[in-house]
Amino acid sequence: MAEPVSSERVKPERINIEADVLIIGGGTAGCLAAYEARQAGGEGLKIVIMEKAFIRNSGCLSAGMNALNMYINQGSPEDVVAYVRYDFCGAPVREDILLSVAVEVNETVALMEQAGLPIKKREDGRYLNRGKWNIEVNGSQLKPITASMAIEAGAEIYNRVYMTDLIIVNGQCEGAVGFGVRDGKFYVCRSKNTLICAGGAAGLWRSNSNGDAHHRIWYFPFNTGGSYAMCKRAGAQMTSFEVRIVPIRTKDTYSPTGTLAIGMNAPMVNALGQSFMREDPYYVERGGHTAPTLIRVLAFERETLAHRGPVVMDTTQGDPYKVAGLKSQYLDMSPCIVLYWGCNDIDPSKEPIEVDASDPAIVGAHAGMAGAWTKGTSRETSIERLYVSGDALGGAPSRFISGSWTCGRLAARAMVAALKDGDYQLADLDEAVIDDMENRTFGPLIAFTEKEKEGLWTDGTLMNGILPKQMEDRMQKIMEEYCGGRKQWFYVNETYLGIARKHIQRMRRTQLQYLCARDLHELQLAWDVINRLDVCQLVIEHMDYRKETRFPGYVNRTDYPDLDPEFDCFVNSVWDPVTDEVTCFKVPYDQLVPGDRTKESI
Amino acid sequence: MPPKVDPLKCDACQGESEPLCEQICPGNLMTLNKETLKAHCRDDGDCWDCMSCTKVCPRQAIQTTMQYQLAYFPGKLIPLVGINSVTWTSIDCNGRVERFVIRTISGGDDDDEE
Repeated sequence: MAEPVSSERVKPERINIEADVLIIGGGTAGCLAAYEARQAGGEGLKIVIMEKAFIRNSGCLSAGMNALNMYINQGSPEDVVAYVRYDFCGAPVREDILLSVAVEVNETVALMEQAGLPIKKREDGRYLNRGKWNIEVNGSQLKPITASMAIEAGAEIYNRVYMTDLIIVNGQCEGAVGFGVRDGKFYVCRSKNTLICAGGAAGLWRSNSNGDAHHRIWYFPFNTGGSYAMCKRAGAQMTSFEVRIVPIRTKDTYSPTGTLAIGMNAPMVNALGQSFMREDPYYVERGGHTAPTLIRVLAFERETLAHRGPVVMDTTQGDPYKVAGLKSQYLDMSPCIVLYWGCNDIDPSKEPIEVDASDPAIVGAHAGMAGAWTKGTSRETSIERLYVSGDALGGAPSRFISGSWTCGRLAARAMVAALKDGDYQLADLDEAVIDDMENRTFGPLIAFTEKEKEGLWTDGTLMNGILPKQMEDRMQKIMEEYCGGRKQWFYVNETYLGIARKHIQRMRRTQLQYLCARDLHELQLAWDVINRLDVCQLVIEHMDYRKETRFPGYVNRTDYPDLDPEFDCFVNSVWDPVTDEVTCFKVPYDQLVPGDRTKESI
Repeated sequence: MPPKVDPLKCDACQGESEPLCEQICPGNLMTLNKETLKAHCRDDGDCWDCMSCTKVCPRQAIQTTMQYQLAYFPGKLIPLVGINSVTWTSIDCNGRVERFVIRTISGGDDDDEE
């Protein structure tokens, strides 16, 4: 149980910070942004990182990772773009951004190898590749190594500070505010340039397991949409929130399957023993065993819905040497599956691995496209002096870890260049505005002190308040049932979405006033649910606006099951703080790499 | 896989302002009981099973356990972190032991890898 805070709340201590470059989120993109900002900006530059957890082991990389999924083993940056486009069935992607990343990604990987990352080698000394675009690493310490780049660059790092909102003055970003998760202080950071790279959003939909396995999900559960919510609330133009990811992963542990699919070439097999991607004409004509990710996700869903499940990845036919190495590979990124196999007496060389769909996630750098819209390749959003990178950047999927490192570097370079050109000054902030932001930041704690006085039930729970976990359960139930959760096998239609909209609006507009936090950890959980509700709203509006099915497997529309050429574009949106309405609109796609978008170039 | 802390081994990382598991947990979940001076996970269901706490514990007091709803008892997976490698010991439900030594960082002088 939480330890209640004193009901007479004292005003929190205020910490004032100034930065030339403020980085919100000390993860994959943020740490390399700090490194590059120092390279480009020189010794005098004041670089500040605000990190919600502890930079040495926070975020998606905290369990490690055994491969880098963007690396050019052969071909050119243009071939990378063609591949990413193909993997999204020819959907529009930000080719300009992907090209800018692909041009430098190999150099970034070399930089990280120098920093200590063990990269596996072939006998000829080249990196051990897994297919065209992946290389294998011993990445259990990927995050500490990544963090060392920021630490050695002399960035001023604040751990355990949860940033809640951006300071926007006259349409420009002047910094951000947040609270200390451990110290309870109010942090006000004024900055000349701000980079948001605080990850994507997990936990909008329900987890497959409950109770003590509630967070045994594919995506990192402590990335709760802060990146998107802060940008949205600041008025930034957002993109592609309909392009969620539905991860098909190892059942129960939701460990990555690239190790099985690409590393071992293990095929998906249904209960009839059919290697359906290779045998069923429906899938063969859509690409077969190496079909785009979306098609493979759809195939899993179709086979299961046709009662031909369970679907397994057949590891028993693979190279025995590679099967023996499986456990080592998983220990580098998802050790829990090795424990799971041990406890369940599973030997992957003797029995195939069952797969299942984890709850959908909203990401920008993995196989999803959500994020803030950016101007050209600057990484600057529609809000001046506000930049995004990593999962926060939209429209440019499949950058993964190595691409996010690179993307962070590119953002930092653009920020430093803007500082040199722009002669930016730190803003003089209106005290009343900052006081309001402080009250909003600590709102759920303040609400608790008020609601506590209004009465408690005999079990100690609030008569007039809702705790973050209760609100999360309500939100996840709505999204699961009405916004195409696994319960609906990722199918939606206008009617379902209308109900989802009604409930999520009601939660945002009438229920948040009851949200209470009894201590600082619950204040963090409260902000997690506030941010997730912001993202839910974007997801529902974007999904509803795209009246077609361009991303099968991820979003299957029963009312618009086909492609519509009218939607061969990005769907962007802006949120109106007065009406709490999201307005969606189309933005044209710019094809820079010529060729058939539904084909790989090599 | 909630992390469980052995009270006989946990010493609250004496001398540290916070125990190392509390410092490192990406979910802000590991916390010190002020009365018993032992660490614990404040909410098993919120753990992502990244095993950061289990690896960082200087007394090997933390064991990451499997959620019973997902797998049978018993079974253990124990990491021992060295300078340049981590040695994993897997003991499955039949008592079969497997060991894995995996490189964690390259380029150091003190290579403890076999």
